[in-house]
Amino acid sequence: MNAVYRSYGPLLGTIILLGVAVWTLAMIVGPQLFMIEQSLWRMEQPDSAVTAGMRIEELNNALSLAQYDLGALEGTTDPDKMAEREKLARSVSAMEQELTTLQGQDTAPVKVYTISNYTEMSGYHAEIFVKTIGASLMVTLIAFAVCYPVAYAAAKLAKPERAALILLGLVIPYAINELLRVFAWLMILDYQGVANSVLLWFGLPEPVRFLDSGAGVFVAMVYAYVLFMVFPIYNTIETLDTNQIEAARDLGASTWKIHSRVVLPHAKPGIAVGSIMTFMLSAGSFSVPHIMTRGTAQPWFSQLIYSKFYDSFYWNQGAAYAFTLLLVCVAFIILMMKVFKVGIRDIAK
Amino acid sequence: MRGKSVSLDSVSMRFGDFTAVQPTTLTIQAGEFFSILGPSGCGKTTLLRMISGFMSPTGGTIRIGDADVTALGPNRRPTALIFQNLALFPLMPVWENVAFGLEVRGVSRRDRREKAEELLALVALDGQGDKLPTALSGGQRQRVAIARALAVEPAVLLLDEPLSALDLKLRQHMRTELKEIQRKTGVTFLYITHDQGEALTMSDRVAVMRSGVVEQVGRGDDIYDNPATSFVASFVGESNRLTGTVDSISGGFATVSTRFGTLTARSGPGLAAGDKTIVFIRPERTRLQDTPDGAGLALRGTFLRRDLEGPFINLFFDCQGTPFSAHITNDSRHAAETGTDHWLRIAPEDALALPAGALARDE
Repeated sequence: MNAVYRSYGPLLGTIILLGVAVWTLAMIVGPQLFMIEQSLWRMEQPDSAVTAGMRIEELNNALSLAQYDLGALEGTTDPDKMAEREKLARSVSAMEQELTTLQGQDTAPVKVYTISNYTEMSGYHAEIFVKTIGASLMVTLIAFAVCYPVAYAAAKLAKPERAALILLGLVIPYAINELLRVFAWLMILDYQGVANSVLLWFGLPEPVRFLDSGAGVFVAMVYAYVLFMVFPIYNTIETLDTNQIEAARDLGASTWKIHSRVVLPHAKPGIAVGSIMTFMLSAGSFSVPHIMTRGTAQPWFSQLIYSKFYDSFYWNQGAAYAFTLLLVCVAFIILMMKVFKVGIRDIAK
Repeated sequence: MRGKSVSLDSVSMRFGDFTAVQPTTLTIQAGEFFSILGPSGCGKTTLLRMISGFMSPTGGTIRIGDADVTALGPNRRPTALIFQNLALFPLMPVWENVAFGLEVRGVSRRDRREKAEELLALVALDGQGDKLPTALSGGQRQRVAIARALAVEPAVLLLDEPLSALDLKLRQHMRTELKEIQRKTGVTFLYITHDQGEALTMSDRVAVMRSGVVEQVGRGDDIYDNPATSFVASFVGESNRLTGTVDSISGGFATVSTRFGTLTARSGPGLAAGDKTIVFIRPERTRLQDTPDGAGLALRGTFLRRDLEGPFINLFFDCQGTPFSAHITNDSRHAAETGTDHWLRIAPEDALALPAGALARDE
């Protein structure tokens, strides 16, 4: 803080610090706190209101029964029945009085702080949650398997001009809106889509249901997030001194050994960053599973969150779901940092 | 460990239209400390990369010992290369660096560790095995690189200007160490450098290269005292030059007419009567006198300035428009004054006449 004041002076320094503070509060802390708060309560009817409601129901039933009986005894002259009628009329007025008192009580739902939003996830939703995390891990793994060779080739094998072309080729599709790209994959993998036409032409007996099986989500997702894996890895591999690769080869190392002992360890921070980004984007992706499954396969967890918010208007549980997902993502970041033994500073690089 | 010979037979390298190395035939003896000396861009690094296997020559064959290795990759040649920037693996501790070559050969961890300690002791780095390379000084890193290369028991160690990043004192120290390591191991050392001091002090033999051509191969003394071409004479060491025409040659000495008078000088290879010639005189062999007496030609020079080099002093003179310098031992007796005249005598055995050809074309 002192350093900021020293380099920018009191006026500019204050502006910069204020800007940082506003950004942190408004963009990071505020919305998260709001979300956490939302997830920790729900609207519930108070206990007294519940019993009162049951009593009202009961009274209403009894009342209508009594009133019916009363109507049947109308105009009687039998003294026995007269006495019975009087007794009935007294109990009706007592019930009516109680009813009025009960109805006068406050029955509006009240805000109750509880963690049940977190604990009440149904078995089905929990299964989807686990499957989403697993699938996101798979997407991350596949993206890594695809990206590492590409990044290595672009960074170390290709001539600079060709490397630029490869990277440009990777970037160009990203100039197109994500939805369009996903729809393109939908058309390719559809039951009557391009891929199936080609397969049929090659003699496959019947079209493959890519989309219903959920495989389409994988393909589209790897495609959609591949760039977030390529560039961090490319950047770190590019900083590797080529002499180190040559030195390893000169000392007799096989290609596998060169990668496992020299290139991969050097690329760790890039792999960690790429994995974190790909994983978080996949786990939180909404449009890709929404478009690619069209309800024919199990939904992604993010779709459940969406429907909690907008279909059932149950914001509190929606917030709890969303926060659970966030916790898993944070856990994943920490895990990645531990596994790859990289610190925040390496990642920031 | 035992060194092997390296033989190049008409080895050449072309990149498109550019010939980096002209067809070169050269034999490096087993167990020899051999240097290739030349200015940057002369093709010495290309030559080294062809011997190490990182480049395939566009012509000729390379043999190491009796085996033709022209078609083999760097991992299948009995050579080890020490890179200019050393290329140590920064994420591995020192001992793993040293043992890397053994690791990829499937040697067990215990044996690797043992061998690494042995090699670290050889390069005087005992007990430093668990540090990271970045924790070591420049000279120590240098020795790690040497130990790492020696771990694979190469027959030929290739060194690509490994000392250029070190400061002067350390460089001089490492020269002695390299020579010592070479003597102890018996491995053939092929040393690439643009620093003549390194080449002359360490090597058994030196090859001087220019523009893809090896101009001379010989012991350090030969290169320095009897340069074969005017390029070698001017690149290795300092020299004064006088241009002239050869009148006659007899008994290994040439009589040369210069604008200062007639001069007798040793006659270099390829010189004939009537040729244009450049006579090279080393500054330390120039005799500074108060009178023109003695054998050989004496030039009258006006003293301009002196540069203190430490052990000797470099004196600059102007001889009627031709610059001339003389080295004198720094024994604090010579105190010339600017503007005074002196005699610079050139004894016949201290002057060497070489064909002007190639050098004149350059300038």
